[in-house]
Amino acid sequence: AGPSAMSAPGAAAGGGSRSGAAEWGGFEDNMQGGGSAVIDMENMDDTSGSSFEDMGEMHQRMKEEEEEEAEGEAGAAEEEDGEFLGMKGLRGQLGRQVADQMWQVGKRQASRAFSLYANIDILRPYFDVEPVQVRARLLESMIPVKMINFPQKIAGELYGPLMLVFTLVAILLHGMKTSDTIIREGTLMGTAIGTCFGYWLGVSSFIYFLAYLCNAQITMVQMLSLLGYGLFGHCITLFVTYNIHFHSLFYIFWLVVGGLSTLRMVAVLVSRTVGHTQRLILCGTLAALHMLFLLYLHFAYHKVVEGILDTLEGPNMPPFQRVARDIPVVSNAVLNTTAKAVALTL
Amino acid sequence: RQYGGYEYSQQSGFVPPDMMQQQQPYTGQIYQPTQTYTPTSAQSFYGSNFEDEPPLLEELGINFDHIWQKTLTVLHPLKVADGSIMNETDLAGPMVFCLAFGATLLLAGKIQFGYVYGISAIGCLGMFCLLNLMSVTGVSFGCVASVLGYCLLPMILLSTFAIVFSLQGTMGIILTAGIIGWCSFSASKIFISALAMEGQQLLVAYPCALLYGVFALISVF
Repeated sequence: AGPSAMSAPGAAAGGGSRSGAAEWGGFEDNMQGGGSAVIDMENMDDTSGSSFEDMGEMHQRMKEEEEEEAEGEAGAAEEEDGEFLGMKGLRGQLGRQVADQMWQVGKRQASRAFSLYANIDILRPYFDVEPVQVRARLLESMIPVKMINFPQKIAGELYGPLMLVFTLVAILLHGMKTSDTIIREGTLMGTAIGTCFGYWLGVSSFIYFLAYLCNAQITMVQMLSLLGYGLFGHCITLFVTYNIHFHSLFYIFWLVVGGLSTLRMVAVLVSRTVGHTQRLILCGTLAALHMLFLLYLHFAYHKVVEGILDTLEGPNMPPFQRVARDIPVVSNAVLNTTAKAVALTL
Repeated sequence: RQYGGYEYSQQSGFVPPDMMQQQQPYTGQIYQPTQTYTPTSAQSFYGSNFEDEPPLLEELGINFDHIWQKTLTVLHPLKVADGSIMNETDLAGPMVFCLAFGATLLLAGKIQFGYVYGISAIGCLGMFCLLNLMSVTGVSFGCVASVLGYCLLPMILLSTFAIVFSLQGTMGIILTAGIIGWCSFSASKIFISALAMEGQQLLVAYPCALLYGVFALISVF
């Protein structure tokens, strides 16, 4: 992380000086011609003894010329140089301050990179897993536990949940692309990532807060892990129902698969909570949110396909009938491929 | 550090970059992290002879033999990868492959260079964080970007195929799945051999598969 952080300001400065390369030659001519007050200032300057300050001052002036020509190539480091334009009266101080500022920027970026790396290290133990463990936990997440009088063990790892959230993002993207969803304010990728990560982090935090109120014994990492593995059911359901467009099939999957993963999460939480009211609040909230999220994902990113199917069958079908429910499987597949072919040619 | 290399005499002031290049001594920098804007790079010094100037490709850090070796490693998925080839960070090959990918998409009528750039940047960042968390030794960002860029090569085959045939049938789905598997298998193979993470190949391959799946999504739709 260190070298890359240091090379970034170098790249910005290098880019700036490279773009001004043609102008540097012209500036040299100006220097020998001499006539403007700016150049006199440099020649009269006794304190600019090192080439480093010349570099800084010339860089300063080149930036002014660039700004006059209305070229917008200022990087982050050069913008900080721009703050010193107002202090041109201080001869010799200018170069030193520019040099100082560059060093500060570099140091700040390096320390920021270091602290970022140090923060990542805190999460390191949660990613220490093996493929066998991940597979076992994925399968376990669909099996509700029976023993709720004894606190159930929750694996506190973050690799599996993170991968499941990314998988959900990929499935959503695939669903949006196959149904030609158009997002007007934003991008497909941004919407998908925002929805999935927002759900995972937001609902985990909310249920953790409720668990704190209801005196349940669960930590934040465990809650993240539990909800993350609970998204496995969502992934399976959406993967199947985005490709096979059957409303009744979706409802069956919603109840069975979604219900199983919700039951597992609920059972684990119940085993860790004491008191009927608290159990009811916590588990009711989690069950409602989890099931409703699956419903939302299906309907929010899926209805465009039905729109295409409806317009195809418009003249022949009564308006309130949905094609997917009434037509047998064979012609549904034909309709789907026809819809895709028509959408492609449009 | 940015201006540390500029030590020129006081009288002559700043010399235009094309003159400076002729006075750089050969410092054997082929294994340094590549800086693609080399004529004004911070490692150039003033005051040496023209004969000491190294060949341009060596100065830029582009070693065609290594590039070819790494390409072959990607193309033969069953060939055992040598962990040491990833020691030097080489972004020239991946840059060429990304541009070739964008060009083949262009031939299919999709002007999506921006998507390729954005997805590769975010994907490299994500893999960098994940690999740093999962491996005992850390990785550098350049190494991750380099490996992921090289393993994009089979995806170029997929988008070339998409120029002529549509990938939205059954054949297309099977081909896409195969190419995604090939890319992620190669990438995970190189990562494990470079980072000595035995037994975790599947765990590294899955995020790579997700990333290459997004690239495939651009190619297909």
